[in-house]
Amino acid sequence: MSAGIRRREFLKRAGLLAVAVPGVATVLDACASVVPTAKARILRVGWTIEPDTMNPLTTYSTEAVEVLQLVYDQLMHYDLELKPEAGLATSWTYSTDAKSITYTLRSATWHDGKPFTSADAKFTFDLIKSSKASQYYQWVQNLVSTEAPNATTLVLHFSQPQAFNPGLAVPIIPQHIWTGMSATKIQKFANAHPIGTGPYKFVKWVKGTSIEIERNDSWWGTKPAASKVSWILFQNEDVMAQSLKTGAVDICPEIPPTIWKGLSGAAHVKTVSLPSFSFHHIGINVSDNPKSGGNPLLKDRAVRLALSYAVDRQQLVNVALDGLGTAASTLLPVGFGEWHLDIPESQQLNADPAKARTILTAAGYVDRNGSGVRTSKDGKPLSFRLIAIQSTSVDVAAAQLFRDACAKVGIQLKLTLLDANSLGSTVYNAHAPNWDIFVWGWDAGVYDPDYMLGIPLCNQIGSNNDVYYCNRHYDQLYNQQSVTIDHAARLALVHEAQQYYYDDAAYIIMWYQDKLQGYRTDTWQGWQRVNGGMVLNFTRDNYLKVRPV
Amino acid sequence: MARFRYLGRKVAWLAITLYGVVTFNFVLFHVLPGNPVQLLVRSGHLTQQAQAAITKVYGLNHPILVQYAIYLRDLLHGQLGLSYTYREPVSTLLGQYLGNTVLLLAAATLLTIVLGVLVGVIAANRRGGRYDSVTVTTSVIGWSLPTFWTGLILVFVFGVWLHAFPIFGSQTPNAIYASPWLRYEDIAAHLFLPTLTLVIVNIAQFVLVARVSVIEVLAEDFMLTARAKGLARRRILWSHAVRNALLPIVTSSALLIGLVVSGAIEVETVFSWPGMGLLVYNSVLNRDYPVIEGAFLVFAIVVLLVNFASDLLYQALDPRVREA
Amino acid sequence: MVRPIVAAGHVPGPDEGPVPAVSSEPVKRGQLRDVWEFVWHDRLGRVGVVAFVLVVIIAVAGPLIFPFNSAAVTSTSAGVLLPPSGQHWMGTDELGRDVFRAFLSAAHISLEVGLAATAISMILGAAIGIVAGYYGRWIDNLLMRLTDFFLVLPQIPLVIALAAFFGQSLGIIILVIGMTGWPTTARIVRSQTLSLRERQFITRVRSLGTPDWRILRVHILPNVMPLIFANTVLVIGGAILAEATLSFLGLGDPVQVSWGTMLHSAFDAGAIGRGAWWYFIPPGVGIVIVVLAFTLTGHAIDQALNPRLRGSR
Repeated sequence: MSAGIRRREFLKRAGLLAVAVPGVATVLDACASVVPTAKARILRVGWTIEPDTMNPLTTYSTEAVEVLQLVYDQLMHYDLELKPEAGLATSWTYSTDAKSITYTLRSATWHDGKPFTSADAKFTFDLIKSSKASQYYQWVQNLVSTEAPNATTLVLHFSQPQAFNPGLAVPIIPQHIWTGMSATKIQKFANAHPIGTGPYKFVKWVKGTSIEIERNDSWWGTKPAASKVSWILFQNEDVMAQSLKTGAVDICPEIPPTIWKGLSGAAHVKTVSLPSFSFHHIGINVSDNPKSGGNPLLKDRAVRLALSYAVDRQQLVNVALDGLGTAASTLLPVGFGEWHLDIPESQQLNADPAKARTILTAAGYVDRNGSGVRTSKDGKPLSFRLIAIQSTSVDVAAAQLFRDACAKVGIQLKLTLLDANSLGSTVYNAHAPNWDIFVWGWDAGVYDPDYMLGIPLCNQIGSNNDVYYCNRHYDQLYNQQSVTIDHAARLALVHEAQQYYYDDAAYIIMWYQDKLQGYRTDTWQGWQRVNGGMVLNFTRDNYLKVRPV
Repeated sequence: MARFRYLGRKVAWLAITLYGVVTFNFVLFHVLPGNPVQLLVRSGHLTQQAQAAITKVYGLNHPILVQYAIYLRDLLHGQLGLSYTYREPVSTLLGQYLGNTVLLLAAATLLTIVLGVLVGVIAANRRGGRYDSVTVTTSVIGWSLPTFWTGLILVFVFGVWLHAFPIFGSQTPNAIYASPWLRYEDIAAHLFLPTLTLVIVNIAQFVLVARVSVIEVLAEDFMLTARAKGLARRRILWSHAVRNALLPIVTSSALLIGLVVSGAIEVETVFSWPGMGLLVYNSVLNRDYPVIEGAFLVFAIVVLLVNFASDLLYQALDPRVREA
Repeated sequence: MVRPIVAAGHVPGPDEGPVPAVSSEPVKRGQLRDVWEFVWHDRLGRVGVVAFVLVVIIAVAGPLIFPFNSAAVTSTSAGVLLPPSGQHWMGTDELGRDVFRAFLSAAHISLEVGLAATAISMILGAAIGIVAGYYGRWIDNLLMRLTDFFLVLPQIPLVIALAAFFGQSLGIIILVIGMTGWPTTARIVRSQTLSLRERQFITRVRSLGTPDWRILRVHILPNVMPLIFANTVLVIGGAILAEATLSFLGLGDPVQVSWGTMLHSAFDAGAIGRGAWWYFIPPGVGIVIVVLAFTLTGHAIDQALNPRLRGSR
């Protein structure tokens, strides 16, 4: 080979080497910088879903609330036992008829230096009420008027006694920034630099990569140890778990079962499994709308009971969740403690195919043509369409198991997998819902039975009520419990409501999944276990209380 | 004069095709079921007022022809609509992710062409030998590899097994750099595996093209004459072979751009490289139609323009080629 | 998305396909045997053919001998992602099912999709290419603009759009790959038709007043067929790759198991991080071998038909 080519080739090779050597050096450096240390006092959280917006009034994402709850304060917060603690309100009292709440506010400063007063708090509640548009509106539906008699007092007047104190849910926003915005303007407002009174100030959001906040040194509470908190977005749970192992992140609040199991035994990593406030369920279209395309046979309670008895919820937990959950029964997950109604196993509508067959035969559904599928007296087959979200693998597994279980009792299910958007638009088509059965799930919006119990209400058709259930008696039970302040009385009502809805079998709740989290033991310490998760939960206190190792 | 008329005609056709693509894009994404309101209803209490406000913000309350007109008007201002998931302008989102993708694609394209041509030339020079057959075989196997699978294997080998290279993102998160050079090095380290994936998978084209071009040149009669006259082989090789190879390389490069852009989606997904491909992948998962619409419109425009440019370049280089 | 196959050394110019496999006379009867002779004696061609036969045998016989039951999901978590053993030759997947059987079943599906999609794109491409090349002028112009338009059509949004109406399925994947694959074929066929049209025997026959359709059927088509055939074999490889990519990105048929969906599930279930190599390596290797088989065979056939290309050996 001639020298000319050799020379060029050499140059090229040299060029490659020139890139490679620093590349390797960087890798070694990167490995060094990846050695876990809390020296920089940055608390790094790894997750796979990003917030949608930093606007607290337009967000519906749990991840957004997770970040915003450190930037904005509420009147009250949940502590590590999920009990109310002081926030911007140092104390609060109910009036004798429980229809008014008076909050005593502390002095605080907004992140842009302006002082916080009761006018801001009043403004917040007024705006949410008047614009009628945000996830917090549901807590001010009965709000009649607000008063700020002086700079440190706020009074809220409701038309009904409030069992749930809305101060626990609503973030307080600054009047001087949000004043004068119409409902449309609010919807379009990105709030790219949120200003709150919280323990952390917003720094930046690099979309698709990370969010960063830094400590607010003029916050009214005890200074948290982390000078910065950063949430890092991973595209894939696998890579996220790897990063926990290498120490690139300090805590991962949501890890899928198989991967979580793979983390146990990893050096300096502790995995925790906590009861959650979520469930996954099978929903049955019981709409009374004459335009509904749902199979009318599903309105027969006998059929729904059979569907419930056909499936073994524990098997679903074992297979779909790798054992990391609890077989479910009623609307309130076990994480809700005493609010959850514990139905004894012998009385549960679960795992009894023989009983399912008996019920169906007694109701007149028999296999009349030897096809393996039962038919009604007028020849209509028990054949239904089943839909699930394709990207939620646990739901897909559950749907397949459900289908196979139902086949054994003579009910045929035809499974179609859809993307989340299509499933949502199919199910929530309130004008003419054209579907039979779905597999989906719910997360509780607040730590109060009100949210979950409030799903199957008549007035929620067109909103949350995904199965179009409407029952006067149930509505009555719900209304009663939401205005009952006496704890014991409310508890009894909440139990009764759960039992009633369970017996009607419009929902077949499959499991309460465990909240699977993992954290490093060599960077931050002081992580407290909390029902629902140490982070990505209703309480932000773990962020505030952890200290470097 | 004929040249200008010809050019004018080409530009006119380009404009028409662009318009067709834009309209098709709009039609495709605006007859689809599902809209942001339904996406959000699932997450929580969505009041009637909220639904109305959101519908208004997205302009979904207008009849479809009005929406089309608004779409075209916005397009002329560089606006691509509003994202369903982020509720931010799509153009802003794309802009935030664009830089990373351009970096990846530039690195991959450059390396593929340069390395491919070099390897091909050397293979041609050593034709029939072991270097030649190994190169050709490896290139052909490389071509048969699915891009995403190659990425997965590299992740497994270099990331999980050997811990040699970072396997996600474009920089170490929260890293503090003592100097800008360290930052560039960090990015380069993260860039290595994604680029390598794209190069492995696309290099075959250039290796084979370069190789064949050089072989053809070497075999030509005038080469024997020139060598007989004593002219340095390498000078002839380079001047003639390069000229011979230039045309197919230009066309291959145009094809490459198209491939690399679509390959970017796969690579960015596997390596979590925060570029437009990743944005598209996530938007696909979330069915965020405006973002998908906007991203693919940009993609189509880029490919059309690149093909147009390569056509012109081809014209300039080879006067033999004329439109039928 | 699909990597267009390019016969080595001949890259399509902007308005033409690769150099057509021109024969100076109409098809000879012995040509098939000549092609076979060449392919078999060419080293890479032989490898291609052998791989091709193996693949077909595995895809057809495999699922018959080792049927895959997609509902055989394990009832405990202990069976998930097990390494290869005597009982499970390729281990188990994230639902506890046998990966080996899934692999065979997926081979069948992947080939099916590849062949069906190719059939669509070849028929469409050939038809449009012939019509455009033969009739010329404004028909040609119009069809070529149409071709340009379909050439920039990306597959992902099309799949999403169709899936939104009909739900994700294999049918949609096949349709979309077919619809986006025909332009390249059309261009190649058009070039060949163009040059054929100018051939002496065609002009002679036309001056005799033979109707167009007869010319197309008797004279043009048989001369274009070898090229179409060579191109088909090459396109199948691209179609299989395209299906794998679309399925990996989550756009495939969620109920059917193809190599692409296996890789998608592996990625989602964290198989890479867990080192479950038996789950994500075999499907990829399968794809590579199948694509190679078609590419090498097709490439060899291409060379057999076009002696000009042989210079590159």
